[in-house]
Amino acid sequence: MNLQVVYCNHQSANLSIRERLAFAGDKLEAAYRELASRFRSSEFVVLSTCNRVEVYSAQESPDAAPTRKQIAEFVSEFHRLPLEEFSDELLAETGPDAVRHLFRVASSLDSMVLGEPQIVNQVKEAYRAAQDHNACGPLTHAMFQGAIRVSARVRSETRLAEGRVSIASVAVSDFGRGIFDRFDDKRVLILGAGEMAEETLRYLCEEGVRQVVVVNRSLAGAEKLAAQFASVGARPRSWEALDEELALADMIVSTTGASEPVVDVNRFREARRRSGEKPVFILDLGAPRDFAPAIADLDDNVFLYDIDALEETCDQNRKARYREIEKAQLIIDEEAERFMQDVYHMATGPIVKRLREQWHDVSRDELERLRSKLAHLSPADLDIVERGMERIVNKLLHPPLEALRHEAKSGTPQGLIDALKRLFHLRD
Amino acid sequence: MPIDFFAKVSVFCFLASYVMALGLDAARLMKRWPVARWIGLVFGLAGFAAQTGYLLIRGRQEHLPPLLSSPHDWLLVLAWIVVLLYLFLTWADRELAVGLFLLPVVLLFVGASYLVSKQPNPLIAGNRGLVMLHASLLVVGIAGVVGGVLLSLMYVIQHRRLKQHHASQPGVLLPSLARLARWNWWAVVVSVPVLTLGLGSGVALGLTSQETGTVLSFSDPIVLGHGVVWVAMMSLFAWLLTTRRSTGKQVAALTLWAGGFLLVILIGLQVLSLTTFHSGAKTSLRTRHFRFEISNLKSQTSNLKFTGGPS
Repeated sequence: MNLQVVYCNHQSANLSIRERLAFAGDKLEAAYRELASRFRSSEFVVLSTCNRVEVYSAQESPDAAPTRKQIAEFVSEFHRLPLEEFSDELLAETGPDAVRHLFRVASSLDSMVLGEPQIVNQVKEAYRAAQDHNACGPLTHAMFQGAIRVSARVRSETRLAEGRVSIASVAVSDFGRGIFDRFDDKRVLILGAGEMAEETLRYLCEEGVRQVVVVNRSLAGAEKLAAQFASVGARPRSWEALDEELALADMIVSTTGASEPVVDVNRFREARRRSGEKPVFILDLGAPRDFAPAIADLDDNVFLYDIDALEETCDQNRKARYREIEKAQLIIDEEAERFMQDVYHMATGPIVKRLREQWHDVSRDELERLRSKLAHLSPADLDIVERGMERIVNKLLHPPLEALRHEAKSGTPQGLIDALKRLFHLRD
Repeated sequence: MPIDFFAKVSVFCFLASYVMALGLDAARLMKRWPVARWIGLVFGLAGFAAQTGYLLIRGRQEHLPPLLSSPHDWLLVLAWIVVLLYLFLTWADRELAVGLFLLPVVLLFVGASYLVSKQPNPLIAGNRGLVMLHASLLVVGIAGVVGGVLLSLMYVIQHRRLKQHHASQPGVLLPSLARLARWNWWAVVVSVPVLTLGLGSGVALGLTSQETGTVLSFSDPIVLGHGVVWVAMMSLFAWLLTTRRSTGKQVAALTLWAGGFLLVILIGLQVLSLTTFHSGAKTSLRTRHFRFEISNLKSQTSNLKFTGGPS
């Protein structure tokens, strides 16, 4: 039995290599076809995301297993990329280490952002694609179903996936959702047109925001950003409209990059005078800050967050996730060990079956002989004799089967299987 | 399940269940333990079942529905309503830290029930229907005020967290300020008219009791206390409906003060009323009525049949 993963990820290979090795779109189907033609008796699952390219293989017979070199050659030829360009970045694990690797990947312990939730869906998607291409078999089925189960266990028994770790998600989920019930009726003012504004706006759109106004010193910049979010009705306005928009907004995201605060206390007080004391959520993502810090104390309904406040929460959440690694690793080790025991035990299945059948056949033959010799026995007496013989067979079977089970805990008990075959003349 | 199953249930049984449920909810603050919520819910359900059985048994013993049996039972009915709310919200939202707010109030009511009278309300002898209406309206109104107080408390905590930039704690989340403010507004706007009707029916009860010869004085400390808290709540109610630019925090703060005042007065007066009864140092109007009416009531109980609700 052989389990193997040949892979490169964000730790071993840079993006330029990963993107050239990726099996995206139509390439995946061709890759499965090629793998099937090269390694007929193997099962495969290819996991290809922006952070990793991994080829999992498994087969009952170790003799027919593809080696790391063979998989590397396949990747090289498939992508028409010289092997020496990526060979050092290509890693491999076999046996329990391969299983442990998959469980770590699915549980997001191997992700760039620890605990991120997308990876388990990508693992599920890769597994589904392998099934669609008839590349899976009993071993890969067990491995990937096990990985999905382990991921769920890690998620529910640890805090690995808890707490947001990006500025935009912390701002909206931890604080915005604490203030507002819904976002689809909120007016969002984007001040500046930087990348951070774009990322936060994207997150807000996922939360259902439908009214967006972009105000920028350069109207062209505002128009460009607004055009990207035209689907949610984003519209640009000139810098002169800032005071009017400050009074109308429920949420303000500011990333102007100005060297001094754009909105001082007096300017915002005037806006509050016009808007009333409705709750306003301000994300000041500029450095230096765009909003004077004293604005937070203007009234009870002004909620002002600068980048430091948000980064602090991100850091706390990140540290909290790192504290959970050990706990998650324990779960993964325990599950990988159990999985390997099951796999090894599965390998003893045919021999156990044959041994049982052979001994029960002998017992049935003897029983028939007894029936013909002891014709005076009633059916009830014969039934007692039959059950007694069954018990004897089961008791005799118990020690060798127990020995097999015990040996299977640390690997396929090949020696014991061979010994049983020779001792009891069991044929393949 | 036969009602006799609950014959040996004491107040301590469900009090202990609620303490356990509260302890498990509090443990979630310190350590993530998903099963704690379910175990807490089981303790809450066990306590609720025991309390329901206890109230039914008490009603059967007194031949009166629990709302009318005694101040002891009346407080337990109030606690029962709050527990029902706790169970529903805990079941409906697994992230909501509702037990940490509702269960202490339940413990307060159940604990206070130890200190108040178990004697039947003497006024039942006069006009049972009106007494029932009075007690029901008061209990629903006060439950609404309790809800308002707890929502306000949640609002203040959530507001403080947001102002101080503290991340929310997974597993013990609070609703948004917008939702808390909305619920709080409704809790006050609904409960104050109900309380008003409750007090109005109390006044009617007082007047009819004088006509029928049963003595009820409007200078009774409990009656006066209810009157004072009603004025406080009514002021809040009027302010809520007339102020156009009130902020959620102002509403929460006022509800907290007015509602908290109501609960302190309500429970304080009930407890003090019994203390004077027991000490014998100073006999209040109310206790004199109790002594007088209990003998009347006992002679009439044979004529009353309790079938699990007001007949």
